[in-house]
Amino acid sequence: MTMDRREAGWRGYAAATATVGAVAFACLQFRATFAPIDVAMLLLLAVVVVAARSARGPAVYASLLAILAFDFAFVPPYYTLAVHEGAYVVTFATMLIVALIMGGLTARLRAEAGAVAARERRLAALYELGRALAGARTPAEVAEVTARHVERAAGTPAAVALRGAAGALEGGGPPFDRPRVAEAAAWVLDHGEAAGTGTAEFPDAGALLLPVGTPLARHGVLAITAGAGAGAGAATERRGLELLAGQAGLALERLALARKEEAARLAVEAERLRTALLSSLSHDLRTPLAGIEGAGTALASDAERLTPVERRELAETVVEESRRMTRLVANLLDMIRLESGALAVHRNWQPLEEPLGVALLRLEGRLADHPVEVALPPDLPLVSVDELLLEQVFVNLLENAAKYTRPGTPIRVSAWRDGAAIVVEVADRGPGVAAGEADAVFRKFHRAPGRHVEDGRPAPGGAGLGLTICRGIVTAHGGRIWVEPAAGGGAAFRFTLPLEAAPPSVDPDAALAFPEAP
Amino acid sequence: MTTPAPVVLVVEDEPAMRRFLRTSLRAHGYHVVEAATAREGLAQLAGRNPDVVLLDLGLPDADGIDVTRQVRATHRTPIIVLSARGQERDKVAALDAGADDYLTKPFGLQELLARLRAALRRAVPGRGGAEPSVVTAGELRVDLGRRQVFRAGEEVHLAPTEYRLLAVLAAHAGQVLTHRQLLEAVWGPNFLEQTHYLRVYVGQLRHKLERDPARPRLIATEPGVGYRLRDEAPPAAGG
Repeated sequence: MTMDRREAGWRGYAAATATVGAVAFACLQFRATFAPIDVAMLLLLAVVVVAARSARGPAVYASLLAILAFDFAFVPPYYTLAVHEGAYVVTFATMLIVALIMGGLTARLRAEAGAVAARERRLAALYELGRALAGARTPAEVAEVTARHVERAAGTPAAVALRGAAGALEGGGPPFDRPRVAEAAAWVLDHGEAAGTGTAEFPDAGALLLPVGTPLARHGVLAITAGAGAGAGAATERRGLELLAGQAGLALERLALARKEEAARLAVEAERLRTALLSSLSHDLRTPLAGIEGAGTALASDAERLTPVERRELAETVVEESRRMTRLVANLLDMIRLESGALAVHRNWQPLEEPLGVALLRLEGRLADHPVEVALPPDLPLVSVDELLLEQVFVNLLENAAKYTRPGTPIRVSAWRDGAAIVVEVADRGPGVAAGEADAVFRKFHRAPGRHVEDGRPAPGGAGLGLTICRGIVTAHGGRIWVEPAAGGGAAFRFTLPLEAAPPSVDPDAALAFPEAP
Repeated sequence: MTTPAPVVLVVEDEPAMRRFLRTSLRAHGYHVVEAATAREGLAQLAGRNPDVVLLDLGLPDADGIDVTRQVRATHRTPIIVLSARGQERDKVAALDAGADDYLTKPFGLQELLARLRAALRRAVPGRGGAEPSVVTAGELRVDLGRRQVFRAGEEVHLAPTEYRLLAVLAAHAGQVLTHRQLLEAVWGPNFLEQTHYLRVYVGQLRHKLERDPARPRLIATEPGVGYRLRDEAPPAAGG
């Protein structure tokens, strides 16, 4: 700012010299025709022009220059500064007074225009910050966005430190890493008032520190490094910065409220799920248990009254129902492991074929009615996955496909590389997933209502956990899972496995360096 | 020709599980000796000299892996460990400590009988040191003496490393081998963590030997544990 002003002044004097000089020179050419009063008028015009366009200094300078030029070149005796006629004294005085008045007027106009422009800049900065903050999703983003906008508005480095879980400020980076600034920032957080450069508290901190928050809660501190807060426009500048800090405070408050609301919503949801879990569990676990107990008691007490065929049927009931229970319990345990964060992912580089092959063999009985086509390109890179978990994903997706489609319809498993990820697809030829259900199918205890009535078959059993577990496992691998309509009808469940690092290489001669066991 | 019934020592703390093993194994001609604790089991091992041990990994009085080590210190009796899914690390530790095979609970009777048969076959006295020179598994025939491999009567040409891996699996046909055991046998002690070598070569072998490499039946994956060359058809896949 000061630099600008000095430069503008220098330019003003140059312009004044040029303007007055040019008019004087032009008049000199017509000295014979012009009356001295005409010349005086023209020079006065030049002074007015200069005064209107620059500050008071150049205006006065221009009037003095004009007086000198007039006296020197147009008032006889020419080329001396001597004045014979007292009348010209009035002309000189008028020129000077006009310059002073004009200069004053312009200065006021300029100051007002400057104030308007500054206000506009502040408003624009405020508006831009408001718009940017509307898109911020986390407190850290709010801090980042605010710091960037304040930096732009103040022209000096700025940072925002946020109140952490412990109640004290956390992070923020420079200048919060300076002990004096940190001390002042802690004071600001406690008192909710500004401190640092240009204020009564910690004026030596080397930064202006403003509270970020609302009257109800203080969320952090905005630091603007020295340069701002000092100088002539300090007060208005600080007000502008305070407005920006206030805006950030509102954004943080909004996020805090949203978080609280989300937590409350989740608590309600969790409660609803617990109720659903209980009813689902009691039904899903009791059904097979009833079968097992019934068949078991018949075998235990009525064995001699039963025919061999009946005995065999009862025994098979026990076997089938136990297997159903095993699957249910396994799913429930997986779910609990996922939810409690106890799911450990033991990654190993391997071909995708491996977990898929295990899943296909494990499901052989249940997939008897569905031909499964496997289309894995031979050059598919190795993936770094937990084989047991990925096997579970394949088992659940294949089981799901078999459950919701007509017997005899094919299932196709394919995979391809897409940029920095492998996309795996399990596609069926069933009724597909309704558009509005695409997200819901991955939800806990969800059993697709639109999917089980194809050809009037009864609703398939299951706790509605299979796809939720898939999502948990895929997410734990850094991937994403979704469902979309399959080309040619049916549902296509797709998931990605990011290729975070290059697969390790395999040296074909590695074994040959090691002597074979005798 | 009446061979004496093979003696199976069952070390398992769950009474229901013991009852299932006792009744079903007796029905299939085994002589069953029971123990509910590790201590009892070790005493029975010394006293009854069983042909095979079924060892639960979740005993109340001792760590199953330690028990495996204690048995191995004095006996060569085949050990089959019993454990739940999700305890793959324990299974691997037990196998690396000298156990011969494992069964994941819950398991069916057919699976149990197949494992017992395989364990007893390998322990047949007289065959002790000399490995069988020809191993057959389904339509696969591996002639370990001549280093030749045949699939449905036709010779298959394998790369040296592929053959070496197949030979190790064939020498232990029917038995699970952990990743570590296979890596050590084929690539040496410097490669114990390089499981991708093993997986890549198993994949190559499957593409050369399996009828449907997407559903490998000869070289079976034991998830999280290792591989097994199946020398008899697997029992029907459970429901």
